[in-house]
Amino acid sequence: MGILKLLLSYLSIHPSPLRNPSTSLHLSQQAPAFLSSSESAKDTQETWLIYEQLLLSCLRTGDDNSARLCLQRLSDRFGVDSARVKALTGLYDEATSRSRGELEAVLQRYQDILKEDPTNMPIEKRRISLLLSLGRTEGAIKALTSLLSHSPNDAESWAHLSSLYFTQRLYPQSIFCLEEVLLILPNAYNIFARIGEVTYISASAGASNADQIEAFEEAIKYFARSVELSEWYLRGWYGLKLVTGKLIQAKPSDGTLGKMESLNQLATEKLVQIVSKFRRNVKGWTGFDEAEVLAAKDLIDRDEQKISR
Amino acid sequence: MATIQAQTILRDPQLFYWILFPITAVMVLTGVLRHYATVLMQSDPKKQELNAISEQRNLLRGVNLRTNHNQIPLSSFIARKNYLVAAYNRGDFLKDPDNKGKPPANPMTDPAGMDQMMSMLKGNMAMMVPQTLIMGWINAFFSGFVIMKLPFPLTLRFKSMLQSGVATRDLDVRWVSSLSWYFLNLFGLRSIFTFILGNENSADQMAQQMQQMNPAGGNAMFAPGQDPNKMFLAEAENLEVVGGQHEWVLDGVVDRLLKTRV
Repeated sequence: MGILKLLLSYLSIHPSPLRNPSTSLHLSQQAPAFLSSSESAKDTQETWLIYEQLLLSCLRTGDDNSARLCLQRLSDRFGVDSARVKALTGLYDEATSRSRGELEAVLQRYQDILKEDPTNMPIEKRRISLLLSLGRTEGAIKALTSLLSHSPNDAESWAHLSSLYFTQRLYPQSIFCLEEVLLILPNAYNIFARIGEVTYISASAGASNADQIEAFEEAIKYFARSVELSEWYLRGWYGLKLVTGKLIQAKPSDGTLGKMESLNQLATEKLVQIVSKFRRNVKGWTGFDEAEVLAAKDLIDRDEQKISR
Repeated sequence: MATIQAQTILRDPQLFYWILFPITAVMVLTGVLRHYATVLMQSDPKKQELNAISEQRNLLRGVNLRTNHNQIPLSSFIARKNYLVAAYNRGDFLKDPDNKGKPPANPMTDPAGMDQMMSMLKGNMAMMVPQTLIMGWINAFFSGFVIMKLPFPLTLRFKSMLQSGVATRDLDVRWVSSLSWYFLNLFGLRSIFTFILGNENSADQMAQQMQQMNPAGGNAMFAPGQDPNKMFLAEAENLEVVGGQHEWVLDGVVDRLLKTRV
């Protein structure tokens, strides 16, 4: 297979290669081969997407030379003034900078670009990430809020803002942002699970007992919705099992106890199935994230120990 | 009345090579040419100012809230609804707050409107000019005889259109001239164009016609002929109306989930 096809098929199996160190490494190792091949000169949309992914993965693994070459070719094709190319150049400079002073210089450059052209969204987003890397979370939150005031349909930014609020322990605001994401993407089952998680965490962090129970019930509803939308969603079942377990412990007697126990059992069954099939490498069941499967196994074992005691 | 005996006419087998093939070939080639010409003639999307973008996107936010309001709890929905309705009524997101009461910009004078009208015009021209040329060519070269028999019967009214060069009274309407072959090709070649040129090709006149018949589609909000303030007020009203029926999708979700277990 030509190297272009190879890379495309790799990216279709691993759509977000940068999440995982091993896939990023794998991808960046292909970079020198791709860059020196003749197929890299093809002018199709797919080729340029591959260039972008290669650039990001090479920066991730430290292969600055290949990254530089990718960036060069991208700017030759699309011009140095294209918004996206400017953002990628900024990203390259951030990644290869060696001192805080250099990072501040890049930040200043972003502010200048934005002063000239306030509609440049990729640069706005880069500026927010850079503020975060410099540790200025409040500045990043302010910048994100101003981005969202003129582009309230950007689900990615709402999700980012939610995670920032979460790091600052501002749970109601975090949930507000996640709800905005739901308004844009109503079938995002992962967001439902996330709201469940944030609700559970904020309840455990400090409410009174009665409020805790109410919050747990709400979290359970969110997790239930996420698995209603996606039958084998591991995070959803994990959350269900965990929170129903806590609720059963906390509430001695109530009409809904039966339902909670059935839910707990259902969640346990599903998790057991996922874990066993993943372990045995059954076809079609190997797409789960290994760390998540290990956590699920851990939870199952913990609860079994409790029962056997 | 009995024209039960089928009318048969002996046809020259050379008909096939000299008429059907050439017409089809010419139509395919002009379709491909038209597609590339349209692609080349498209001008770049115009850059918009930040407050114009903000206006459009905030209106979209209201639409999203209205469409997906069942995904969030009632209290969240009400909070957002109150905020948005108040903001829309005050005109917070308007690009030109001074233009509130004035009539919408005339497309003739407004430069933004001009661009959109020009691109629509170019699209229509690209469609019509080749069609007219080919029809003229067919009438010039291929008139005066019938070339094929349609497998399905038609009423008499079609005679004048489909047998244009042949003036006989008794000839069955199923015998048609080459112009009808042209029409058949016009509608039938769409799938071939999709095969050759990929899905969104400009040789597809059906898609264009559907777009013209559907003004409520995406372009309505951004067309210069609309008054943004009125749209905001309309959206505010829609939000008020929809507020009455809120069914949180999470109500009863546990029961639904447990039911599937059975």
